[in-house]
Amino acid sequence: MKRIGLLNLAAQNLKRKPFRSIVTVAIVAIAAGTLFSATLLISSVQQSLKVGMKRLGADILVIPEGAEESSESALITGVPTSFYMDESVLDEVRSVPGVDQASPQLFIESLISAACCTGHVQLVGYDPDTDFAVSPWLEENTQGPLGDSDVVVGSLILANKGETVKFYGQDFNVVGVMDATGMGADESVFMQLDTAYRMAEESQQDALSALDVQRGQISSVLVRVNPEVTIDQVAQRISTNVPGTVAVTANEISRSVTDRLSGFLRGFIVLDVIVWVMSLLTIAAIFSMIVNERQREIGLLRAMGSNRNYIFKLMLTEAVLLTAAGGLAGILIGGATLFIFKAVITASLGVPYLWPPLWYFAVLVLGTLLLSVLTGALASLYPAFSSSRLEPYAAIRQGE
Amino acid sequence: MADSIISLKEISKTYKAGPNTVRAVNKVSLEIDRGQMVSIVGHSGSGKTTLLSLIGGLTKPTSGTVKLNDTDIWTLPDKEQSLLRNRLIGFTFQFASLIPTLNVFDNIRLPSTFDGTALVSPERVQELMDKVGLGDRGHSYPSELSGGEQRRVALARTMINEPQLILADEPTGDLDEDTEAEILAIFRQINEGGVTILIVTHSKAVASQASQTLKMHKGHLTENLENS
Repeated sequence: MKRIGLLNLAAQNLKRKPFRSIVTVAIVAIAAGTLFSATLLISSVQQSLKVGMKRLGADILVIPEGAEESSESALITGVPTSFYMDESVLDEVRSVPGVDQASPQLFIESLISAACCTGHVQLVGYDPDTDFAVSPWLEENTQGPLGDSDVVVGSLILANKGETVKFYGQDFNVVGVMDATGMGADESVFMQLDTAYRMAEESQQDALSALDVQRGQISSVLVRVNPEVTIDQVAQRISTNVPGTVAVTANEISRSVTDRLSGFLRGFIVLDVIVWVMSLLTIAAIFSMIVNERQREIGLLRAMGSNRNYIFKLMLTEAVLLTAAGGLAGILIGGATLFIFKAVITASLGVPYLWPPLWYFAVLVLGTLLLSVLTGALASLYPAFSSSRLEPYAAIRQGE
Repeated sequence: MADSIISLKEISKTYKAGPNTVRAVNKVSLEIDRGQMVSIVGHSGSGKTTLLSLIGGLTKPTSGTVKLNDTDIWTLPDKEQSLLRNRLIGFTFQFASLIPTLNVFDNIRLPSTFDGTALVSPERVQELMDKVGLGDRGHSYPSELSGGEQRRVALARTMINEPQLILADEPTGDLDEDTEAEILAIFRQINEGGVTILIVTHSKAVASQASQTLKMHKGHLTENLENS
């Protein structure tokens, strides 16, 4: 025979007024869902920036003046872009004091919906002799350096390892699919710089629209800074010493994303604080009402031999059950909303997105649940305490 | 010498009602022997229910001592006093005192679950349901029962922990004569088993069943009659 435990009795009590219970759950769900989804969004953006910047591997990105916005879009959200400068920039950058390594990249937009091409993506040519961004990944994940007709693709490119993709009328073998970063790299295709130049040359015959890229042109220079100097110092020197270019630090890119997000999140946080305070007050009011309504029953339980602690725990358990249910519902709804509308949210905010690791997800779920439950416990503390202090006889009489 | 289960000494209870102080029970002293069936009668507001609540530890006396089985219940901490109420006393009230979300079976066994140690057997619950004539209603909820049936369930619940004392406040109030007779029969049966019963009532029929009748008037115990 099952014991009539506190949990069981509390759950039965909550079924008495289903509408009131549902409203309480809904209020907590809104608070918990808002908190959960906002925190998950921030964490996912931060996670994406962390992984994406690590993949970029550079402290500074040197690009032509005026290309700041499109390069950031390409890097963060993978919007294909192309801009060029002379490769002589590379030597000028190398000569700047504090530059440890510098490697050129070439950006090419593939054609939109052309029969010759796999899709509208960013093609990135890198120099295998100086590269420190793509090569380390290749060393770990493929047989060796890329061949003349080989490419590696980002995680969102619809091609598997071993398949062939076509750009500007030429076929390329996919020799690897990179791990997701949540950033533009996921929608990019990487090939050797020489392969990219050759593709441009042969596009005159093979492609629907010829590429206007010449050998000797590059799009950016990735820079690693000597550990003895600060990144900002070196960026400043490059901007001064290499005319016609802009040196953007990885931190600046991250900060620009964070800044963009913070405006949106500030409103979100204010809203969430208001919702939490409202839910705290509402639960407190609801439980004061419950105690009032059930005075006779509380007196009766005391007459039957339950002690004050039992009554206190019963009320607290009811509050905890309601808020735990609300927290859980909020997490599910908030998580699902973010999952479904991820693309819309990230596109409208212009931020990268990468789901955080599972352990972080678990901590976030538990944290939100704990906060929900604590809210319930805190809100019901006074009603629960006062109900436990009711004199049984007075409670029975007042409830009549 | 008779064995007292209830011993009241100079017990008083006063309330504040606005600017006035109401003396609901005024210096009542009383001894009730084990195994007795005693009725308390009197007009409304005479202090009968307050006296019953003082005896059961439901309200604290303003002065005087309440002893049950020689234990001064108001010297006990809440946990022990509650345990004493749980084990020694069974209460029945005039109102429908069942928990609406629990079925008959669970309502009856509820008091046995409070201290976390005692867990009565299903057979014991069934035996009590049979005793009050509701053997097949274990799965019914209070809302599905008549007033008389609810009262009988409450009586069965009162008996679950095998109390030595039953305190009944108008247990047959608002019941028809037949149902009142049924309830009284159960009380008699319980009393024959050695349980002391104290009944507050307005009903002469109920009072006449008791071996002793106490009359209250304005907070005082005015008569103590041995019934024939």
